[in-house]
Amino acid sequence: MKHSDYYGYALFFLALVILPSFLDSRWQAVATTFIIFTIVALSQDVVLGKSGMFNMGQALFFGLGAYTSAICNTKLGMPLLASVPLAIIIPAFFGIILAGPIIHLRGDYLLVVTIGFNIVFVQALQNNLLGLTGGPNGIFGIDTLQIPGVDSGSQAAVYYICLAALVMVLMMLKNLETSKAGRALHYFREDPLAAESIGINTRAYKIFAFALGAGIAGLAGTLYANQYSAVSPEAFDFVQSVLFFSIVIVGGSSVPGIVLGVFVMFVLPEIFRDFATWRYFIFGFAMIFTMILRPCGIWPATYGKVPAYILKGKQHGKK
Amino acid sequence: MKQTALLSMFLFIFCCFAGGAQAENTLKIGVQAPITGKYANEGQGIDQAVRLLAEQINAKGGVLGKQIEVVSCDDEGTAMKAAICAKNLVNKGVKMVIGSYTSTCAEAAQATYYRAGVLQTTDGTSDSLTEHGYWTFFRNSFPNSAEGNFAAKYLVKEKKYQRIAILSDFSSYADGLGTAVEKAVKNLNGNIIYRGKIKSGAQNFTPVITQIKSKKPDVLFFSGYFSDGGLIRSQMVGLGLKADFVGGDSNDNPDFLKLAGKSAQGAYIINVPTPELLPYDLAKDFLKAYKAKYNMTPPSIWTLLNVDGMRAFIHAMEQNNSFDTKQASEFLHQMKDYPGITGPISFAKDGNRIGSGYMAYRIEADGSYKIVFK
Amino acid sequence: MDIFFQQLVNGLTIGAMFALIALGYTMVYGVMKLINFAHGDMVAGAAFVGLTIYTHIMGEAASLLAVIAIFLLTAAVVAFLGILLERAAYRPLRNAPRLSAVVSALGASLIIQNGIMLVWGPQMRIFPELIPQVSWEFGGVIVSLIQFLIMGVSLLLMVALYLFIEKTRMGAAIRAASIDQDAARLMGINVDRIIAVIFIIGASLGAVGGLFIGLYYRGITFNMGWQYGLYAFVAAIMGGIGNIPGAMLGGIILGLFNAFIAGYVSSTWADAFTFILLIVILIVRPTGILGERVAEKV
Repeated sequence: MKHSDYYGYALFFLALVILPSFLDSRWQAVATTFIIFTIVALSQDVVLGKSGMFNMGQALFFGLGAYTSAICNTKLGMPLLASVPLAIIIPAFFGIILAGPIIHLRGDYLLVVTIGFNIVFVQALQNNLLGLTGGPNGIFGIDTLQIPGVDSGSQAAVYYICLAALVMVLMMLKNLETSKAGRALHYFREDPLAAESIGINTRAYKIFAFALGAGIAGLAGTLYANQYSAVSPEAFDFVQSVLFFSIVIVGGSSVPGIVLGVFVMFVLPEIFRDFATWRYFIFGFAMIFTMILRPCGIWPATYGKVPAYILKGKQHGKK
Repeated sequence: MKQTALLSMFLFIFCCFAGGAQAENTLKIGVQAPITGKYANEGQGIDQAVRLLAEQINAKGGVLGKQIEVVSCDDEGTAMKAAICAKNLVNKGVKMVIGSYTSTCAEAAQATYYRAGVLQTTDGTSDSLTEHGYWTFFRNSFPNSAEGNFAAKYLVKEKKYQRIAILSDFSSYADGLGTAVEKAVKNLNGNIIYRGKIKSGAQNFTPVITQIKSKKPDVLFFSGYFSDGGLIRSQMVGLGLKADFVGGDSNDNPDFLKLAGKSAQGAYIINVPTPELLPYDLAKDFLKAYKAKYNMTPPSIWTLLNVDGMRAFIHAMEQNNSFDTKQASEFLHQMKDYPGITGPISFAKDGNRIGSGYMAYRIEADGSYKIVFK
Repeated sequence: MDIFFQQLVNGLTIGAMFALIALGYTMVYGVMKLINFAHGDMVAGAAFVGLTIYTHIMGEAASLLAVIAIFLLTAAVVAFLGILLERAAYRPLRNAPRLSAVVSALGASLIIQNGIMLVWGPQMRIFPELIPQVSWEFGGVIVSLIQFLIMGVSLLLMVALYLFIEKTRMGAAIRAASIDQDAARLMGINVDRIIAVIFIIGASLGAVGGLFIGLYYRGITFNMGWQYGLYAFVAAIMGGIGNIPGAMLGGIILGLFNAFIAGYVSSTWADAFTFILLIVILIVRPTGILGERVAEKV
């Protein structure tokens, strides 16, 4: 990372911190949603962008986190804050269980199986599994996140909680990049065969990436339940997964690219009402043009000091 | 530094558009309805009718000197969108919300309106809507349990069906109505031989209908929506299931006839009277105005029930000479027989509309309705 | 036993539709190694195009001839769209990374789906009753005219396609191109033309499927392509993607499985069971039931 990038991030966060004071509560709500979806897209990036696994079921883990919190809060009477660890651990655990048997499947098959998981999950929610999920309506009337010493009822407070979570996630991902696991995943993405031959246990690292992505998405799920005080199955439909998938690829698996993607998909429609009807139509064209003009995304990720000749023509795994 | 520029740019765009709160010199009324999606024609009906009524009131000088401003939010008939709509409408400062069409969406939004002290009126018939004890909530239709009792009377006492099958989808309204009918039929010692659920929107209902056929029912009661009901009726006839079809209130929609095609003939539908059959002058005038403005009739009675809810709210504010929602709610709970488009309006303590005006219709060969029981 | 056979007929009807649509996925995948996500939306689009042709061009005349004309015209329009799609969204990406093509396909899907919504509106559109509701009973099992038509026409088209692929020169060229594009090119096969042919065939078969959906289920919505596309796609994968008889088999199995689950177990769990079946098949046989007809490139 160059020095100028640090200034960039610092300025960006400064802007995010002072943002609520310029906005009324409706726009604070939009900004909060923006941050939550950014976190989900980042979690998708861990699996898809950073590790090159075609996962099109990320909304499953997002929903799992949201429902875990909602159930803990409304059925067991736990405060929302106390449910956060569970909302991270349970999705991560499911990430491990689900990834285990399918991780060896090749790209397209993996994609279909993850879509399948997502659909099974949504149908289980709709069928009111174990009488816990509230059927097709979902769960309403979830309490707000209470942090001791803070008046957390206002939209601004909810916003800052989400912002804090975003900062934590970004710091963690930054650390991951330079850690052993991060490098292993990177090698694997660039050349699976070579990675395996130099002794990287690809299976273990792939499952690790799945679990990590699931955990982060689960955290975002809690924030989502907190923001809307409601969760319902269609919010975690596989169509949502498709959106997150596309955002990561179109954005280019880098933080600015992902932020841009989430902004276009979830914030612009709020600003331009007419855009709301046209957004998917326009986004569709944007997806095709971006892929034709910039096959590695609008803002491709840069990674450490890997010489260019190694990476040449090998973005996004094997061709 | 390129990143700085771009990332900060988003935020500036954000601030520019988001700024500028408006002065409160209008009475804001929210519409939360499925303006797009499966139930779009119902949602658009509600939106159009509310706008028409607002226009009429504004032409007469508004409410207590304030003009009405209608703010619509499309919940697409899904619970999550409804929850988001509720937040948006509250943030926009509405005093009352008309809608939504489905019980699910009304229920998903209910708590948010209650917390913000915003009045809400819906045609949703699910019994659970009035079980929370929210003072902000008023139902402008009649609950499932009332329809259940009527339907059971019709099925067991009037038609004397011996083998009754009940099918619903798994939305809160349809499941609730199915259960209400089941309970009421059992109370009358009726014989229920099948109770099942379908997935709304699945289109292919032949497997379930085949299964029902093997149970040899002489009537199938379907408690879901017209978009599935029409197909079920058509596939029933296609599979040679000779049983009668009785549809719950949400099958009362022109699209039911189109989906079922020729098979629609002979199907029964239970509902409160269709708009054309309303005997009141208010109803005739409103239907005329609606026809003049939109060049169509309202899609169903639900549109008018919602309009009645809105009329009652405005009446309460005018009588109290105040926009205070808590006072309006107290007034509404006391109100007796305020003349409405769909008949006199009174509310019970829990926000339920008092009374019940169900009828059973048979669909004739030309697609018209004939009242067969009331 | 009646019930069992009735469910069999129900399953075969829907299975035939899945199979028709699945062929479009599998043929494109066979040659291009690309999941054409837009295929399901083309199917939905075909239903809307067919309805418009009926109401605006045919002037709502209902006769056997009119129905055949609708099928032919719609197939022609959708085949043209298929070629357009390939030119605009897929050809420029033929040498790009795998994921880029996937995203381009998803983009095309969004464009078509929302294009339908912008043109025809978000509400449900309803097909007229073009095929009269006539049915016959065979020992307690009822088969309606439309079910006969769906099963008969699908079978006919599938046999024709199979013969075309196996017996003609063009078919041999398609098989060659799906085994190794580069080698095929060296042998003098015009791969661009092969791909165009595949998109024409796939889109036309999809169009027939879409019209069947409209005629059988009457109500069509702009976003129904996802539902049918996904099922057909699962059928293609189950049979072994790239494998034409596999797609047919997959479609039929899926239709039957769905009917039996919905009938005997629970219709509200049918989708979940379908995907569980798919996942199990893929874990046991990672390349589908008949195996894929794709040479693995490393």
